[in-house]
Amino acid sequence: MKRPLIDRRDLLKAAGLTFVSSLAPAALAATLETDAVFATAYQQRSGAYGVAILSEAGRILHTVDLPDRGHDITFDAVSGRSVAFARQPGTFAVVFDPKGREAPLTIRSVAGRHFFGHGVFSPDGALLYATENDFENAAGMVGVYDARANFERVGEFPTHGVGPHELLLLDDGRTIAIANGGIETHPDFGRAKLNIPTMKPSFVLADRTTGELIEKHELPAELHKLSIRHMDIDAAGTVWFGCQNEGPATERPALVGRAVRGKELALLEMPDKVLSGFRNYIGSVAANRQAGTVAVTSPQGNCLVVMDAATGDVVSATALTEVCGLAPDHAGFMATTGTGSVIEPDGTTAQDDDRVWDNHVLRMAPAA
Amino acid sequence: MRINIAGGLLLAFLSSVATPGLANEKATDIVTGAIDGFIRPGYAAFHQATGELIEAEQALCAAPSQQALDAARQSFGKTVDAWSTIEIIRFGPVTEENRLERVLFWPDRKSTGLKQVQAAIAAKDETATEASSLAKKSVAMQGLGALEFVLFGTGSEGLAQPSEAYRCAYGAAIGGNLDTIAGELETAWAEPDGFARQWANPGPDDPLYRDGTEAVTELMDVFVTGFELVRDVRIGGFLGETPADDKPKQALFWRSAKTLDSIAANLAGMKELLEVSGLGRAVREEAGWIENSALFEFGNAANAAAAANGPVAEVLGDPARREKLVYLGLVTSSLSDIFGTSLSGELGLTAGFSSLDGD
Repeated sequence: MKRPLIDRRDLLKAAGLTFVSSLAPAALAATLETDAVFATAYQQRSGAYGVAILSEAGRILHTVDLPDRGHDITFDAVSGRSVAFARQPGTFAVVFDPKGREAPLTIRSVAGRHFFGHGVFSPDGALLYATENDFENAAGMVGVYDARANFERVGEFPTHGVGPHELLLLDDGRTIAIANGGIETHPDFGRAKLNIPTMKPSFVLADRTTGELIEKHELPAELHKLSIRHMDIDAAGTVWFGCQNEGPATERPALVGRAVRGKELALLEMPDKVLSGFRNYIGSVAANRQAGTVAVTSPQGNCLVVMDAATGDVVSATALTEVCGLAPDHAGFMATTGTGSVIEPDGTTAQDDDRVWDNHVLRMAPAA
Repeated sequence: MRINIAGGLLLAFLSSVATPGLANEKATDIVTGAIDGFIRPGYAAFHQATGELIEAEQALCAAPSQQALDAARQSFGKTVDAWSTIEIIRFGPVTEENRLERVLFWPDRKSTGLKQVQAAIAAKDETATEASSLAKKSVAMQGLGALEFVLFGTGSEGLAQPSEAYRCAYGAAIGGNLDTIAGELETAWAEPDGFARQWANPGPDDPLYRDGTEAVTELMDVFVTGFELVRDVRIGGFLGETPADDKPKQALFWRSAKTLDSIAANLAGMKELLEVSGLGRAVREEAGWIENSALFEFGNAANAAAAANGPVAEVLGDPARREKLVYLGLVTSSLSDIFGTSLSGELGLTAGFSSLDGD
């Protein structure tokens, strides 16, 4: 089924959706139907923020305006809709159709909550889950939204930790993994970190249908400043997580770890040179299930490191200025940078001179 | 620049990092200027202030009087000025052993420090009257925030009388603790083979600074994070969108009426750091306007802070002075732009859309 996408261009423009593609209309429509497409938040030179839908070659297919800086994007293969979340302490999320068939819809966070930048849909696309801050109580929450009723907020449950960041749905379709970064913030004080001396990050599994805590794991006490922030799941169902160390820069803690249900968290040893290259900061984690690899990036250390998912061995380390966004693509990864580059797995680079890409890029897979 | 893992599993190690950017020699000049012209003297001045603070507090405890209390309060103010100048340095030795938070734990949203200070005073907790044992207690009760309550908070007038000997001794212990930390910071930066040498001598094998660009980026971070701190945290913490949203008691140092002095010292510190490092002169001749704009805005900021000075509640209640605060916030945005975009771009630093300001 193919809808007459281009005929609706004027309507979409009026709705805040802008086509900037130089592809001929038919080619654009074909790309949107057949190829993998990617989405990432950006900032323009003018200071404006938005989300770009990219082709595999890093070409912008179209863009959606955002009221302020965005962070991650999630996708529902059932309805074909995506949601871009405000970066913390932002209070909006924008639902949009990557194919440009519908006008975007803006969700506002409720009083006493703001978004942390990440979210995930239930497998049937009926519910959207987002990490949120109950900032008066410094408590992490998962906000639940009804995707079939204008994304009305229908409930919430605790993340059992402070400062949740990324959350993922495990392969059972029911368990949600939450990275509680451990850092307390309050919108009165911008992004200031309020509890570094006493922060306590955790990795939590919760039942999304009941909100019940299934498992909670903390790192050893001496690593209490190691904020667990981003994650992905490999083909074996292992959750890989990446950390950011809030302790002194002279420390060299392990920054990548694995979580398996029922087991303690396991941090991964890495060669010194690779580890020190991260500058104590992992910005994104992505698994390529087909290739059996997991990649992490460090925009502070300007590097992208790929590991073998089975052994944990580092298989490549690449220097890339301000690389952060990561998504599986063919046998490797697409990467995006804070300098406006999109790098394909074969190293081919598309440079956008008007935009810099935010921390994450999402691969939008069509429904199976 | 291959990211996929086709072929042999060859490690492409990070030997040629990022953009060539700044030459190491130029970076060494800039960083050395920052260390010798600002950081070392800044920590020395802070240490000097804490030394005088201890003396004033000990004098107060030995012979309580209104005059001695006034002197101790004045020493506190000078310590705040010295700290506010150097606190823009938020990397290096100050990040070790929670020193940053032990000197100043703020904002303390849940009033943890206040509760602990009041509890210590109520229980006359002897372990809080020795600097060495106090240093092992909660960060919230051993620094400037706790001392401000001791010297200016409810019941502090009693310090002029002998009856408040415990409160006085606790205050002196905080002074002693601050002096210990200040001494450690001064020493750590003064060491010829310590952190200062490492920062000023980037090299491919250095675990922290692999090249000149990384070393100078650390300095640029001071400005970028400093302006954000002043704007979003220090001013934004109490200045609401409308007067009805103002929260004067959420201002740092509201009890001692040092709020605006502290903000002014933050900005004056950054101005001085710009000048002594030569960061703004390390550009092409035609880009000299960048430093001039920065100095112009620093001047505007200093004028606004001076015009708005006074106890926070009073400033917020006076529309003219409140407006100066709003303007001060705008000036810091302009400074963020000058450093984060213009100067960073000119120096070939990746201004850090995702790196400086990560999530």
